Amino acid sequence: MAGLEFSGFAALLSIVLILLPLLSFIIIIFGKKGGGGNLALANISIAFILSIYLVSLIWNKAPVHYQLNWFLIGEIQFTAGVLLNNLSLLMISLVSGISVLVHIYSRSYMKNDPNIHRYWAYLGLFCFSMLALSISDNLLLIYLFWELVGFSSFLLIGFWFTKHEASQAAKKAFVMNRIGDIGFLLGIMIIFSQFHTLDISILFGEDGLFNASVIKDNLWIFGTQQISEIWLTIAGIGFFMGAMAKSAQFPLHTWLPDAMEGPTSVSSLIHAATMVAAGVFLIARVYPVFDPFVLNMMVFIGAITAFMAATIALTQNNIKRILAYSTISQLGFMVMAMGIGAYSQSIFHLTTHAFFKCLLFLAAGSIIHQLHHYRDKIGLDFDYQDIRMMGGLRKSMPLTFWAMCLASAALIGLPFTSAYLSKDAIIVSAFEWAENRNALSQILPYLMVLTSWLTVFYISRLLFKVFFVKSNLLSLEQVQEIKDPSKKMTYVLVVLAFFCLFLVFSVNPFSSENSWIMNVFPSFNIQKNELFHSIIPIILTFGTLVLIVLSYSLYVKRDNFNGFGKGIFYRFSKREWYLNELYSLVFIANVEKLSKISYWFDQKVIDALVLKSAFLVRLLSLISSWIDKNLIDGLVNATGSLAKLIGRLAKKTQSGKLQQYLTTMLLLLISFFILTYFL
Amino acid sequence: MIPLSHFLIIGACLFSIGLYAVLTKKNAIQVLIGIEFMINAAILNFVAFGKYDKINGGGQMFALFAIVLAAAGVAVALAIILNVYKHFKTIDPSKIDNLRN
Repeated sequence: MAGLEFSGFAALLSIVLILLPLLSFIIIIFGKKGGGGNLALANISIAFILSIYLVSLIWNKAPVHYQLNWFLIGEIQFTAGVLLNNLSLLMISLVSGISVLVHIYSRSYMKNDPNIHRYWAYLGLFCFSMLALSISDNLLLIYLFWELVGFSSFLLIGFWFTKHEASQAAKKAFVMNRIGDIGFLLGIMIIFSQFHTLDISILFGEDGLFNASVIKDNLWIFGTQQISEIWLTIAGIGFFMGAMAKSAQFPLHTWLPDAMEGPTSVSSLIHAATMVAAGVFLIARVYPVFDPFVLNMMVFIGAITAFMAATIALTQNNIKRILAYSTISQLGFMVMAMGIGAYSQSIFHLTTHAFFKCLLFLAAGSIIHQLHHYRDKIGLDFDYQDIRMMGGLRKSMPLTFWAMCLASAALIGLPFTSAYLSKDAIIVSAFEWAENRNALSQILPYLMVLTSWLTVFYISRLLFKVFFVKSNLLSLEQVQEIKDPSKKMTYVLVVLAFFCLFLVFSVNPFSSENSWIMNVFPSFNIQKNELFHSIIPIILTFGTLVLIVLSYSLYVKRDNFNGFGKGIFYRFSKREWYLNELYSLVFIANVEKLSKISYWFDQKVIDALVLKSAFLVRLLSLISSWIDKNLIDGLVNATGSLAKLIGRLAKKTQSGKLQQYLTTMLLLLISFFILTYFL
Repeated sequence: MIPLSHFLIIGACLFSIGLYAVLTKKNAIQVLIGIEFMINAAILNFVAFGKYDKINGGGQMFALFAIVLAAAGVAVALAIILNVYKHFKTIDPSKIDNLRN
């Protein structure tokens, strides 16, 4: 009984936690223009404190699962409830924690925006749906909040919707996510038809229904229910498609770089730290669904995504776009880690990535913010997000510089940073996974190492171009006028920078195995190989250092180094692997053709039919109107005028003149006599 | 001896004259005179047919009653005409087409 009361209490707390941001959404959206910042910050802060309290209550203890009946379809009872296990606790504290920081940052960053109340409201909606997504215990509920997360992301990308690119990017993100959602829905339907429940803990728990189902003779058998094995694979692919769209995996990643049209604080919260991690979170939630085929698919898609995004990031010039591709690359790492069974490493990397990528974005946001203001001050017109326009900011924005350096060190996995633990753990797992597999799989870990080194190169390029080399545009004196942003913004950077250090996650800076996150999540089918654990991080770090020195000599020592010429690889990378062009050629062009055909069909066939039938109806109505006017009305009028005629005739006899009456009587009498006697 | 048919012809003539007067005259007094003509035609017929009832003299008796009644009727009619005149300021029967009031 005590246990039930406890779980009820915890569930109540978590529901209060998710409702707080929703409350701020509702109040602010109907509230007055330009306000709402204090309320939003207060609510999200309380939510964060609650989530920390929940972590202290439940972390690494028995999961809390509390549910209520929702609705009934036939004989199947749907429930809705909260499931608080380590994964969801990690997610809610991560989401609410980063949200608090981003809220604080946004107060300065978005200060003079006339529509800021909408911004706070949308952030509230996002936080609500993301937190609710994390604690939902039911695939249907997850799907619901999944859509809501996508919708709030749409709203926030299109926050400056008067800008054409922003509204286009918002639409693109929405459409791309819909493609994934179809897969997700398909997976849910297959699971439901097999098990008649969508409850996660019943399905995927230790002794859940999923483990009770077996695969025999190409059949997927559960109790008396049996369907072809292929459905399991399709369900897995479906769920993975959902994750692919949300976590921007190849080939559904193209929306994320465009999503950078939104405010930078939004990019940092949603498109770097939290929402894009939802895909990885979904994979983690439904992990048992994936059969070996889907897992392999995950591995390769993750690896391709990581590699592709890293190569694209090498040549981009928009600071946010570079970071967006870096995010895609890191998400590729996480998805690949999920595929090889490095579940805990993936979650670990998700957590560390959330902090350092958020920091990278917020630091980039500070630079953009200061440059924007400077541009407005001197009245010059230049793209303040272009790294070629920046340069030499090391002296003028020292705090931002150091924060960015630390975050970049974490991104490339230098020792003593958090991602050194998580990323190297993933690469080591990849080596261990590939050990006993075919040749194609053997390539994979080397690809990951290469990607990791590419990461080093593009982020050092960014750092050197922004902070070291002379600006292409601004003179030295002008650069010195640019300063670090206000204290409110820089404090956030400092807090986030602290979370980029190894100490937050593990006492030992060189081994991820004892980190508190790794210990509470399981890892699957990976044989441990001590050799890899010792050698690979050393090789990686060594390569990293060499590459940093190399790029330093390329970008800083030589004055006018402008990348690697204009070769075919350069163009391939610069144009983002021509994927946008390919899509517009293959899909968009065909869709446009289809819509042209259907437009023609609509014009020539449907409209013609409608017009013809309209003409017919008009004709008919003309005829019936004629009949009505002439026959029906004529009949009525004839009756009327007959009555009138009779009346007029009869009126004459009723003149009131005595002698006339008498004459009439006499005539009648005479006629009567004549009739009686003479005829 | 005057034959019966002469009486009857005279009566018919009187009746017709009276009827004509009643139907056409624009003066209520003349209409009244026309009525008197018609009554007298009837009375003449009573008297003429009275020769077939010499013992009781029924025809004559009836004629006397009829004369008295006619006189009474004329008196009433004249009174009505006077009242009508008071009300309508005319005694033209074709203009008196209203029984109300």
